Amino acid sequence: MEGDERELVRRCLARDERAYRELVRTYQGPVTNLAWRITGNADDAAEVAQETFIRVLRSLQTYDPQRPFRSWLFKIASNLALDLIRRRKRRPIGLEDLADEDGPAIEAVDTGPAPDEGMRKEWAGARFAALVAAMPEHYRAILHLRYREEFSYEEIAATLGMPLGTVKVRLHRAHEALRKKLNPEGDAT
Amino acid sequence: MKTNLTCDACRIELTAYVDGELHPAVARVIEDHTASCASCRGLLAQYQAIAESARRLPSIEAPAWLADRVVARVTRPARLRVLWTRVSAAAAVASFALTVGVIAFWPRLSAQLGLPQPGTWLASGLDGVLNLLVAAPKRLAMDVTFYEPIARQIWVAISSLSSIPRAAFLALRTSEAQATGIALLTLGVALYLILRPSRSHERGIGHACLSL
Repeated sequence: MEGDERELVRRCLARDERAYRELVRTYQGPVTNLAWRITGNADDAAEVAQETFIRVLRSLQTYDPQRPFRSWLFKIASNLALDLIRRRKRRPIGLEDLADEDGPAIEAVDTGPAPDEGMRKEWAGARFAALVAAMPEHYRAILHLRYREEFSYEEIAATLGMPLGTVKVRLHRAHEALRKKLNPEGDAT
Repeated sequence: MKTNLTCDACRIELTAYVDGELHPAVARVIEDHTASCASCRGLLAQYQAIAESARRLPSIEAPAWLADRVVARVTRPARLRVLWTRVSAAAAVASFALTVGVIAFWPRLSAQLGLPQPGTWLASGLDGVLNLLVAAPKRLAMDVTFYEPIARQIWVAISSLSSIPRAAFLALRTSEAQATGIALLTLGVALYLILRPSRSHERGIGHACLSL
């Protein structure tokens, strides 16, 4: 897979139009979905995906082959999506539980019994998606890269340009915030 | 078996444990703790459920036009470059042909239309430029020749002014001369104050003297 990726990059560098098309088709799904997760809008996601591939193909000679291609590609996509959000000032309402790194520490609580099967199904549904959509964009990006793209913490840190500790803390806070929203009764006990 | 790990410390590491990002030794400690602590075990189950839900988050399809548009945009500059090169080459050829044609046919056209010969234009133009180039330094040289003696005289006069304070210093070396100088200075100031014209002295001696 890595060899194929390298070969594809080499062909793109040789200005092979078919390779351009192949590269876009290979990564268009993940890039569009990352952009969608961050921007929360399908049209914006398409625009970001298009701009991402144009930038990638135009600046391919600056790509360091020692680094994972996916990480470089997603870094460009996430930067463009976050820039778009900032430009449009269309930040979704953040979950109040998600204080920044200098905010109050998360308190340990007695969480009660484990969730039953019905609760798990509910969490998998629309409510869970809506709660994720209401999170600040950096949290959404981290959750997406970790659970949809199966990125390691180190890859997420490199892609989003943040320290490893920040990735770890934000993922933990995202879990905690979602858990409190999904299972408020657990906090009371 | 209960470990020394506190619930607080365990809970902070639970997300990393769910994600498989902990060192195996630390992961074993977490497993030991959750095996003996129902509260942390419950939290672990919830975190695992959240991770599972996040893996099943909905996704969208990439737009069908994406690859076509990207390729069109990326390759467009290259096509434009080729087109520009061809247009430039054609323009250069046309310009060369036009220049040759004008040079070849201008004498005949100018004779027919009664226009001056290009050779005459060129000669008169060059003559004008040369005259201008020569006239400017010539004028400058004349000005220098005329003003230089006057400037020299002014410079000598200014230089001689520096001897006045020196002479005054030499003259005031004796105490008699200093006393005379002070007396004259005091007298001058007093006369100025008496004779100066002002509103309050309109009818005074100063005003009368100045009005004469």
